[in-house]
Amino acid sequence: MTRALGWLAAVALVIGLGAAFGYAPREAVQGNVQRIMYLHVPAVLTAYLAFALVFMGSLGFLFTRRMGWDRLAVAAAEPGVLFTGLTIVSGSIWGKPTWGTWWTWDARLTSTAVLFLVYVGYLLLRGMVDESDRRARYAAVVGILGAANIPIVHFSVKWWRALHQPSTILGPEPSPIAAPIAFTLLVNWIAFTLLFFYFLARRAEIARLEDSHAG
Amino acid sequence: MPDNWGYVFAAYALAAIALGAYWRRLARRVKSLGGTR
Repeated sequence: MTRALGWLAAVALVIGLGAAFGYAPREAVQGNVQRIMYLHVPAVLTAYLAFALVFMGSLGFLFTRRMGWDRLAVAAAEPGVLFTGLTIVSGSIWGKPTWGTWWTWDARLTSTAVLFLVYVGYLLLRGMVDESDRRARYAAVVGILGAANIPIVHFSVKWWRALHQPSTILGPEPSPIAAPIAFTLLVNWIAFTLLFFYFLARRAEIARLEDSHAG
Repeated sequence: MPDNWGYVFAAYALAAIALGAYWRRLARRVKSLGGTR
C-alpha cells in the first residue's frame, strides 16, 4: 500500500513537472521565473496540512494518551519542516530576480521563518527527551502552540503591509489566476500532497518500529 | 522581464535533491529497523 502510494506520488510529480514546464504558459509580467510558483505554492500548502496534522496528533495524544497519536504528530512534523524549508528556499530564489533581494523581513517571510524554527525546535525537543511518554507530552504542547502560527502566516499579508502579494488562492475572493496556471498549480498541489502522505506513512512506520524495538 | 532560467532550474534542482534525499533516508531507516521496503 505504502509502496503504491510512493509510485503514485512519483508519477504525479512527473506529471506536475511536465505541466509546469510544458503546459503552463510563460507568465506575461514575470516571465518564466514564475514557474517557481508551481513548487513554492504547493510546498507551503503541504506544510500547512502537515502542521494541521501535528496539531491533531498532539491534541489526540493529550486527550487519549495513545502513542498512535504521537506517532502521527512526529510523522507529519518531519516532512512539514522539509516542505516549509522548500517554501522558504524556493521563495528566496524567486525573490532575487523579482524583488531584487533574496530576503526581506516582510510579515509573510518572517512568520514563515518562525513557523520553520518552531517545528525544527519541536523535532529537537523530541530528540532531547528519552522517556517516550514525557517526550510525547512535551512535544504535544509545542505541537499545539506551534499551530497558532499557521493562521498568522496565512493572514499576515492581510494584517500587515507586506511586500509579499496577498493570497491568490485560499483567499476570500474568487482566484484571478488564469485557468492553465491554476490547473498546473492544482496538479502540483495534488502531487505534493501524495508525496507528503507517502512520507507520512513511511515516517509513521519508522516511529512504530522504533517503539516496538524500545518496548 | 528576463526569463531567469538559472533561478528556475536552481529552485527545482534543490527541491529534487532535498525530497530525494529525504525519500532515501526514510527507506534506509525502515530497512534498518526491519520494516517493509
